[in-house]
Amino acid sequence: LSFFCLGPGAGQDVGRSCILVSIAGKNVMLDCGMHMGYNDDRRFPDFSYITQNGRLTDFLDCVIISHFHLDHCGALPYFSEMVGYDGPIYMTHPTKAICPILLEDYRKITVDKKGETNFFTSQMIKDCMKKVVAVHLHQTVQVDEELEIKAYYAGHVLGAAMFQIKVGCESVVYTGDYNMTPDRHLGAAWIDKCRPDLLISESTYATTIRDSKRCRERDFLKKVHETVERGGKVLIPVFALGRAQELCILLETFWERMNLKAPIYFSTGLTEKANHYYKLFITWTNQKIRKTFVQRNMFEFKHIKAFDRAFADNPGPMVVFATPGMLHAGQSLQIFRKWAGNEKNMVIMPGYCVQGTVGHKILSGQRKLEMEGRQILEVKMQVEYMSFSAHADAKGIMQLIRQAEPRNVLLVHGEAKKMEFLKQKIEQEFHVSCYMPANGETTTIFTNPSIPVDISLGLLKRETAIGLLPDVKKPKLMHGTLIMKDNSFRLVSPEQALKELGLAEHQLRFTCRVHIQDPRKEHETVLRVYNHLKGVLKDYSVQHLPDGSITVESILIQATAHSEDQGTKVLLVSWTYQDEELGSYLTALLKKGLPQSTS
Amino acid sequence: YEDLHTFELQAPTRVIEWARGNRVCVAGYGQSGGNEILQLLPPPTLQAKETQGLCPERDFKVECGGFSNRPVYSLKYVPDTSLLVTSGPPDSSLQVWQVSAEDSDVIKSVSAIPAEDGTGQPWARIATVSTRAPWVLHGSRLNNVQITEVESRKNVYMAASRNSEELSGLAFLDCNTLLLCCAKGQLCLADIRQPQRPLEAVSVPSAPCGERWCMGVGRGPQGSDSSSRPVACLSSGGHLTLTDIRKTSESMASAKCRVPSPSSGAEFLCISWAPALEGCLAISGFDGTVHVYDARSWDSSDREAEPIFVHKGHAFGRLGSSGSPPLVTTHAWHPQKPRTVLSAASDGSLHVWDWVQSCGKC
Repeated sequence: LSFFCLGPGAGQDVGRSCILVSIAGKNVMLDCGMHMGYNDDRRFPDFSYITQNGRLTDFLDCVIISHFHLDHCGALPYFSEMVGYDGPIYMTHPTKAICPILLEDYRKITVDKKGETNFFTSQMIKDCMKKVVAVHLHQTVQVDEELEIKAYYAGHVLGAAMFQIKVGCESVVYTGDYNMTPDRHLGAAWIDKCRPDLLISESTYATTIRDSKRCRERDFLKKVHETVERGGKVLIPVFALGRAQELCILLETFWERMNLKAPIYFSTGLTEKANHYYKLFITWTNQKIRKTFVQRNMFEFKHIKAFDRAFADNPGPMVVFATPGMLHAGQSLQIFRKWAGNEKNMVIMPGYCVQGTVGHKILSGQRKLEMEGRQILEVKMQVEYMSFSAHADAKGIMQLIRQAEPRNVLLVHGEAKKMEFLKQKIEQEFHVSCYMPANGETTTIFTNPSIPVDISLGLLKRETAIGLLPDVKKPKLMHGTLIMKDNSFRLVSPEQALKELGLAEHQLRFTCRVHIQDPRKEHETVLRVYNHLKGVLKDYSVQHLPDGSITVESILIQATAHSEDQGTKVLLVSWTYQDEELGSYLTALLKKGLPQSTS
Repeated sequence: YEDLHTFELQAPTRVIEWARGNRVCVAGYGQSGGNEILQLLPPPTLQAKETQGLCPERDFKVECGGFSNRPVYSLKYVPDTSLLVTSGPPDSSLQVWQVSAEDSDVIKSVSAIPAEDGTGQPWARIATVSTRAPWVLHGSRLNNVQITEVESRKNVYMAASRNSEELSGLAFLDCNTLLLCCAKGQLCLADIRQPQRPLEAVSVPSAPCGERWCMGVGRGPQGSDSSSRPVACLSSGGHLTLTDIRKTSESMASAKCRVPSPSSGAEFLCISWAPALEGCLAISGFDGTVHVYDARSWDSSDREAEPIFVHKGHAFGRLGSSGSPPLVTTHAWHPQKPRTVLSAASDGSLHVWDWVQSCGKC
């Protein structure tokens, strides 16, 4: 099993996901993300790492996309249409529905607004999506005769999934981004005890102890409330789908409880689309939403209305959710420019902002921004940041490992030097190996494949008949003959094997001589030996036969006088190959001599 | 509240220790091993002097961690070294650990300072001081109070006492003077320059016997000598006494706080002075709350005192295995921010809170 994470080179960690896994001769690409911080070729992974000369379609058996975030699917059209890949691409239904929308949005901004040329086109996005095969949760999909995949619920965003990739008895589970605690609109990730050979988990938040959601929300609502109370406007730049829904539900509930009157707006176009998709994929939301959906649609908000560009100039307080999320272009940037000059207003960034965007600049403290046409914008409005992203922390990672019971764990997106403690923790608690490769580093994991073997009924019956009662928890040792013919393996009894092969059975018998010092007559020595063995071997059948010999189970002991020395008796101990263990034990026991007591 | 952050640790802690660079250390106290010692980097909100509401980072980061087989009942950093010392049952020995955050994030066990009195003894209380060589003051009873040099494990001082009275706390008043607090409430002073002089109690509680006591020593005014450091004692029955080391014959002031009798005995009783807020102290360990008092208004009449703030957050946490509500195991003041307190409870919660200043007072 080998793992390889594609990056643009050393020193790059967070920003994009693109992983290559080789399992039992199959090659799978996991995610195909784009790095939003770069405006040149560095934003796409370097696919030449995969194969220098071969065609990607021949080399890769399939591509799997975990969810619609651009750092996981942003490079897909580039990869499939511009680099060239015609094989299957797997993702969940919501991901398939939402991906093209985000890709198109991003394409529009990059090409139309920024004038980029080396970027995929709308047609390329469409052609790429034609290669996508959508999968359901817990549905086993046969990619070919040997490779199968299965999606599990991951939480995080709508449609996000963890994937199990199985070839024969070897399997890998890739988590993508996941979350082990449910939130207002999504449930928590879950996987069964699938015992993969390798679990690949993201670890961006592995070393953090997160502030409770309630405190985060409390502070967020406090800020929004304070701003609105003093007549200011709150701008919340969001991506169309994702945390926006979470915040909408939060604000709606708060407005309802506090009986607030200030209007809340959500960007036009995106409201309908988002609600449409959440309704369509209602099974992907959490239990509570599904339950209340019968009475009322949780995404049909009473207090949140569609936004019109003209509203931005309205006097008075308001809250607006506008896209895109990093204030890099579009409506949110327009609104920002209008409101930036008033200190009563506030902008709350609800997520990570990539370097180079206006969002990133203002979060870093910049208050004078250069806009197009060399205009300087002075930012007097309050700038706040609230991260509501849903990722697993150390506790969550441990929980997932406990659920899946992998044999090995691999962590991506962490800083290896600073993760030694977590590595030890995982290794100590679960007794598995934990790997933390750097970008561009190949990790090889050795697996113990189990080989299925057919056992003959006769052998099974025989083995269960002898010996002690079978204990379901303890492994039982059995003897048989393994016949490997063509591609089949059979376990049969030795007799049957000999018969099939037309061989005659041979019996092996061992005889050992033990010298004992005993001047008495032979039959007295025999009696002494008999009493001694009867005393020691209480669990065995020890018999004194009329002809003067002793049997211990099937082992025969006879005594004769030594030909030259009457004081020495020679004990002949004879056993078959099957009784080797007992025979050796008896011989060693007798060699120690007999106890002194008179018989 | 001015500010409130709640966190959940994977395992509950009964120590919160501040270290150089505003790091915080917590450790598990489970009886069946596998306890983690975690050095945490607090979020920037707690680093800055002014409180910011929304901030890019609101989370604690685990900077480094170690594994301890013993439960950790007490933990102290050794100033000016990269070492820390822990203690816990089943004996009064100390475990020494190395923290080297730059190279790796693992806290390594380096050595142990053994207990001469064998197992079954109560766990050692620990104190360190920053004006000396790397010394650690430790002991579980009056007759085994000693100072050991951490790196060489050489004994530097041994208190002269044959009294096997159990200790609940000890502290350096200055680099030469020690203050010891017995579980029964007596306070003893010792001068390490005079190891031959037997320890004697300088203060005995007037409250009924049968209660367990603990103490908290404050910083005292800037540049003053050790004798003006305020000492406060808390009993399991809710008695609070303030003692002036100079005039130990009479207690300076006392009060009674309205608390339920502690259900688990006095295991988690904790009292501490605010380092940046004059005259304020906090107590915890009776239930799921932390009380903050302004002791400047107290006199010797032993009246019931009103807290200026009560943090109730932990009381709403997860119930324990026997259905009992969470108990606050320890609390610690922020070294610089005047009204910021960290508190931990038996359900693994870790809270950082800051209360709104009422007009005028502290």
